[in-house]
Amino acid sequence: MPKHKPKRSAPTIDMTAMCDVAFLLLTFFMLTAKAKPQEMVVVDTPTSISQTKLPDAGTLTILVDREGKVFLDMAGQHTRMDLISTMNSTYQMGLTEKEMAIFSNVGSFGVPRNRLKQFLDTPVSERTKFPSLGIPIDSVDVNKSELANWIHNARLSQFRMKQEGKVKDEYVIVVKADASTPYPAVQGVINTLVDINVNKFNLITSMEGKPLAEGSKK
Amino acid sequence: MAEIAQDSGGGHKKGGKVRSKKMSTRIDLTPMVDLGFLLITFFMLTTTLAKPNILALVMPEKDIKKEDVEPVKESKVLTLLLGPNDKVYWYEGITDAKLDSTDYSAEGLRQVILNKMEKVKGQFGQEDYEDFKTKEPKKGSFINVIIKPTKDSRYKNLVDALDEMAITKVRYYVILDVSELELAFIKNPAAGLKFNAEDQVEAATNN
Repeated sequence: MPKHKPKRSAPTIDMTAMCDVAFLLLTFFMLTAKAKPQEMVVVDTPTSISQTKLPDAGTLTILVDREGKVFLDMAGQHTRMDLISTMNSTYQMGLTEKEMAIFSNVGSFGVPRNRLKQFLDTPVSERTKFPSLGIPIDSVDVNKSELANWIHNARLSQFRMKQEGKVKDEYVIVVKADASTPYPAVQGVINTLVDINVNKFNLITSMEGKPLAEGSKK
Repeated sequence: MAEIAQDSGGGHKKGGKVRSKKMSTRIDLTPMVDLGFLLITFFMLTTTLAKPNILALVMPEKDIKKEDVEPVKESKVLTLLLGPNDKVYWYEGITDAKLDSTDYSAEGLRQVILNKMEKVKGQFGQEDYEDFKTKEPKKGSFINVIIKPTKDSRYKNLVDALDEMAITKVRYYVILDVSELELAFIKNPAAGLKFNAEDQVEAATNN
């Protein structure tokens, strides 16, 4: 007759250590994760074999959606504040201090200049429903092209901020276009960039396996 | 899980009332761990830890002077016309150019470029050059690829074409606007291409 030994031994595992690990990892992920910036449009980028990663430096992103509408997004609150006050005084946009503060936090935007005030007055929850017309491009006269003005002034603002020591790098220009965007829309953006002497820029692509070119050569 | 909870909570019943202070203070952490990992999974899936990849692109300057244009050998030039419906038309050189078409697959465009490279290698042999990054002297056969996307092509086509340049290690390539003559050439390949070197210079400088 065995004694009361074997029955009640439900295996107890000390969960404390595992719990520690779990929450340590959780904390790590929460702190390192960057909030995904709100984008006005969903852009499905084409794939490429490029392994180069987007640099950490401030980026100025030009989004082109599948209908060819152009949106802009730039990093850095100081730069955005500087940019919008410059644009406001240059083009008499009639923005208030509050609206300019909103602009510095707004993420991507894609409205013509004359509708920006209205766009910024729209509450955050309604903003995605705001009719996005895209930023107009004038392919004939660069000085009239709103996209060119925005990018040009944004770069100048970033440069000023760099001199003041508020940011470290100048803007890296990035074009993020949808795979099925018709080429003329992209061409418009590229030509605008070349017109304002931005000859080197980056296209955002998603990953694709690297094929063996060497092997197929033989 | 439930068993473990029982064990920790209701352990020594036999001992009597005096022993109540001996009740284990152990808390079952299993649900907490569950929750922890659930949250980790959530954060890992929702955050954009992976930075997007970029494809660097350098465009020629806007105002290139005619005297700065360096002539290249016609037989080294391969022109790609990115057409509608993921089709790419291509021709070699300018004089008596024959239009052919292919697709963006590994057997299509890539083979066209590699064939051209072989041909140039056979004709001109290998040339010395200095590696762009490491500055090491190297040998290779070079072709000049001109990419001309038409109005009907998609952005994806352009990226695919640029991708092929990276895969086949084409050193010299440029994106130019397509000319009317070439559009006519696509429509009617039999008529041939009436496009001469001067036109090409014109197209490159007045982008």
